Amino acid sequence: MAYSSKVMSHYTNPRNVGSFGKDEAGVGTGIVGAPECGDVMKLQLKISDEGVIEDARFKTFGCGSAIASSSYVTELVKGKKIEEALAIKNSLIVQELNLPPVKIHCSVLAEDAIKAAISDWQKRKGEKGSNKKEEAA
Amino acid sequence: MCAQCGGPVAAELDLFGALGMPRRLVIEPAELEQRYHDLGRRIHPDRFASGAPAVKEASLKGTALLTRAYRVLRDPVSRGLYWLELNGEKLSDDNKQVPPELAALVFEVQEQLAELREASEPTASESLAAAIREWRGTVQEAMDRARDALAMNFAKWDEGRAEPNSLIAELKKTLSEIAYLRTLLRDIDRELEPPSLSG
Repeated sequence: MAYSSKVMSHYTNPRNVGSFGKDEAGVGTGIVGAPECGDVMKLQLKISDEGVIEDARFKTFGCGSAIASSSYVTELVKGKKIEEALAIKNSLIVQELNLPPVKIHCSVLAEDAIKAAISDWQKRKGEKGSNKKEEAA
Repeated sequence: MCAQCGGPVAAELDLFGALGMPRRLVIEPAELEQRYHDLGRRIHPDRFASGAPAVKEASLKGTALLTRAYRVLRDPVSRGLYWLELNGEKLSDDNKQVPPELAALVFEVQEQLAELREASEPTASESLAAAIREWRGTVQEAMDRARDALAMNFAKWDEGRAEPNSLIAELKKTLSEIAYLRTLLRDIDRELEPPSLSG
């Protein structure tokens, strides 16, 4: 199957590959997997105390569409508030990368990775300031 | 083809029915083997070589169905997937989120496999390979646990101890975990195999 030019661009020249230290301040880590194809995706977000995503890194083992979806997402979320990032739907990724129907699950994975990374950040933040009241989700 | 009279049977027989078995999830392998071989002999195309064309065709079709039934029902994983299908369910219809600790395990192993592929120093690749062999044990243990969980849920269903919707959700979860682990084991074994001489 031929990949779209946007997928190819992210696949051959992925943006923001790598990782932050898991325990680094302000870092949220999300690891999500797709059992039907064996793919696994790690997305890390560096988030300010005000809840703005300052930087992102990813590492994905999987097909070109999974790599492209996560690479695109790292660009997409930078500078966004966590509420905005949480509102990102996989359909946006599908549209941007022209993903065919059989690859839609790759975009779902990337959407799940954002949510998992933010929830990890919130959890870690909560543990750090456990005397503070929990913020409503 | 009917095993008793040799006449054609309804084409809509499900795979449990093809082997003359009730639609139960727990299957004794020895019983499955025996039924497959007994029925296979009875409806074997050689026995109907001089029969009417319709009978010959029924024998061929029946044999094909029987073989498919045997292959699908023999393996608990494919049996579970088939059972979901009979109940109008598919793995892909579900939310495919896997437990975080399983995703983390897969990520960890895949990262090491990537390192092994990129290692140029023989000593480095040897120690990486040793580490991966150890990981393989962990992955296999997770697989054994998932298979035990599958067997337990099969029994629960047969004994009528499970609420259908929650059992279907549970089966989907376990079957997708098994699929994930199976792919991972395959990837590990592919990397650990000695390179072929022709390569």
